[in-house]
Amino acid sequence: MSEPRPVSFRGGGFAPKSVRWIGAVVFIALIAVAEIGTQTGWISALTLPKPSDVLDTFVQLYQSGLLWKHLTPSLTRLLVGALLGVSVGISVGVLIGLFSYIRSGLVPLVAAIFPIPKIALLPLFVIWFGIDEGSKYALIAFGTFTPTVVATYGAVDNVDRTLIRMGQSFGLSWWSIVRKIVLPGAMPGILSGLRISLAIAIILLVAAEMLGAEYGIGAYILEAGSLYDLERLFVGVAILSLLGIGVSAAIGAIERYLLRWRN
Amino acid sequence: MTTFTRRRTLQLAGAGALALATPAIAAKRKITVGALRFTSHSASFVALERGYFADVGLDVEFKFFQAAQPMAVAIASKDIDYAVTAISGGLVSLAQKGAIKVIGGALSEEKGIDGQKILASNDAHAAGLTSPAALDGKTWAVTQAGSSFHYMGSKISAAEGATLKYKPLQKVGAIIGALKSSQVDAWSIVPHIAKGLGGAGAVQIIGDVADYIPNYQVTTVFTSADNAANERAATEGFVKAFSAGAADFNAALVDKTAGDGTDMVKLVHKYVYADREFAKAEKSIRAGSMRINQGAALNVTSVEDQLNWFKSEGLVDGDITLDTLLDTSYVETA
Amino acid sequence: MDIHLSNISHRYDATEVMRDISLEIPSSRILCIVGPSGCGKSTLLRIIGGLERPSAGEVGQIGDPPEGCLNPLTYVFQDFALLPWRTVEGNISLVLEDHGIDGAKKQSIIADVLARTKLSDFAKALPKQLSGGMKQRVAIARALVVNPAVMLMDEPLSALDSQTRELLMDDLIALWTRTPFTAVYVTHNLAEAVRLGHQIVVLSRRPGEIREIVEIDKPLSERTFGDPDLEAPQRHLWDLMREEARAADAELIHV
Repeated sequence: MSEPRPVSFRGGGFAPKSVRWIGAVVFIALIAVAEIGTQTGWISALTLPKPSDVLDTFVQLYQSGLLWKHLTPSLTRLLVGALLGVSVGISVGVLIGLFSYIRSGLVPLVAAIFPIPKIALLPLFVIWFGIDEGSKYALIAFGTFTPTVVATYGAVDNVDRTLIRMGQSFGLSWWSIVRKIVLPGAMPGILSGLRISLAIAIILLVAAEMLGAEYGIGAYILEAGSLYDLERLFVGVAILSLLGIGVSAAIGAIERYLLRWRN
Repeated sequence: MTTFTRRRTLQLAGAGALALATPAIAAKRKITVGALRFTSHSASFVALERGYFADVGLDVEFKFFQAAQPMAVAIASKDIDYAVTAISGGLVSLAQKGAIKVIGGALSEEKGIDGQKILASNDAHAAGLTSPAALDGKTWAVTQAGSSFHYMGSKISAAEGATLKYKPLQKVGAIIGALKSSQVDAWSIVPHIAKGLGGAGAVQIIGDVADYIPNYQVTTVFTSADNAANERAATEGFVKAFSAGAADFNAALVDKTAGDGTDMVKLVHKYVYADREFAKAEKSIRAGSMRINQGAALNVTSVEDQLNWFKSEGLVDGDITLDTLLDTSYVETA
Repeated sequence: MDIHLSNISHRYDATEVMRDISLEIPSSRILCIVGPSGCGKSTLLRIIGGLERPSAGEVGQIGDPPEGCLNPLTYVFQDFALLPWRTVEGNISLVLEDHGIDGAKKQSIIADVLARTKLSDFAKALPKQLSGGMKQRVAIARALVVNPAVMLMDEPLSALDSQTRELLMDDLIALWTRTPFTAVYVTHNLAEAVRLGHQIVVLSRRPGEIREIVEIDKPLSERTFGDPDLEAPQRHLWDLMREEARAADAELIHV
């Protein structure tokens, strides 16, 4: 018997964890570099605005009361459009998940609609739904509809069939099975689809406000872009980013509440 | 500022010399000119086709755009050297950032010559919008806040004591669609588009912009601040060739002193409405011919009025002066 | 209520799964079905409960289900089939809600069945917090709460370790002794079959046919772990099945 050699450890890595403060440090470092660069003239005014000027512009926007004048219509558009798109999307997705004929009829249609850039249809929506709020709601609703449908029917497909058979074996009604077994079972998939749908809704907000919007975050950004007003452009973009973070946090909270049975 | 003035004095001396003799530019210099496929951009097309650019030693390549706004950005990013477009808020902002300079004038409104028209949608017209006096409370289409359409709407409504609601629609095509379907009430646009739409009965023409904004300097010639300050010879050459092109164009299609202008229409047709058959294109080209300023002269009074309007609307920084925007050393000013 | 199977045959496309099965399921007795894997035991159970339609033959009910029966034919599944988002209480409540039982009445029924299955302390627990044995107890409680005429148990103990299996068998026997219920119990474990079955139906390999029906007279409550009286019937079952099991094991699977 020779001397035992230690077995070397080889099971490390491949398990990333998120460290809380790193994200904030990256943000602050980037902004600091931009501030120093623009202050010293190493970054030209044409390339990037001064972060401090952007903050200043934001404060002015807030103090002038224009912030809410822009945010309120945008949030309304997001809310109404996304609510329409998501609720119709979930309903259609569940129907596709449950019925053979609807599945055969609608899956190819959804696949055909999915890749259409919804922005391309904006002029058409203006004719159909009017240049005011209707076309904006429609664009956001349409944009959130397709990813929701796809996520929902995928999630319904993944609901454990034995649970459905169990429901049937206890004589539960069709509606009870859908409400108490299919929907909760599909909820994790629906919610992760919702993350994507709502991010798309925010992207489409700018597109929706291209036509005929005097106020709105998207209109504000477009105007800043056409005036080459970089401070305002960055303020608008930052508001959209915050909106995205907010939506993501809200879905996170909903997930923690609705899916607390999972963790 | 002092260096600027000194250099400017030198430049003025150089400009005097240019009038006497064509400068001896040895090698051909390659420049890129931004253009829209509009009749109003014809001066550049003529200058290229008739060799005026070559005469001043410039090897010109065109880069075509869909809208005026990106051209200003392309000048700032040095992707193009010279371009012609309306003064917009974006242009002023870029000038403030030291990126671009307006060096001359192109299209002007002039009494007696067909200029930009005020349009009303059919529904609005039927509801009583038969003259600009009835504009109060109506919606006015603009591409963007701070665009020339916004300026015109604002000036016209101010003259009529009306309050307009502006609808930003980004693109001329989108505006035409919205106007045809009566989603917006009114708009103003260059004559050939106005007449095309009005003639087809899709919209109603209710007035002339020239009645409200006389001597309106609609479009200007502009370049990067770097070219204006440091590429004197090339810039002068461009202005000279552009002016020669403008003179030919005016003589053929505006003043009609050079025959029936068919040659000129053929030339322009190579660039504008190239996808349409000649007979149809000819009508539009002739209808869209507005005067391009002789010698690219610049109406500073009109530019100042526009700049003041941008400031009053809060679209641009209140500190911007006319000097920041203009380099008047190249052309005659009024 | 008795169940009567007459000439049940079944096939999936080209594969014949079972052939000509006729069987009486008497009330208040436990009938075990054993057979090699792939003999169609579970399919037969689904056919009895109306979850699958046989290619030929008929399943008939004789007599009416007992008073207060909410769901005459009630399953207990191998993998428990508990809703992970509902608590123990909620999972049992699920099968009552659809029968219009609500409020205090529902609560007292649930409390009663939880007490019977010794689950009272776990009423608020989620399935993920429970061991496999506890989960199957919940599933059994859920089956009992609807007062079934016949319990259809599909290898209910197969997913559990052997100690838990013994404990649950004792529980099932205790439950049956208190209130005898009718059950069809499918298993591939012969020890379970001889412990729990009044009658044991031996199926051949695919296509499944009835080889023999073995009766064991010893009362359930007197059967114990390692009972010498059960050794003979278990050996007899194994003799019946050995060749079938070997042949079934060597078959290619057509999916």
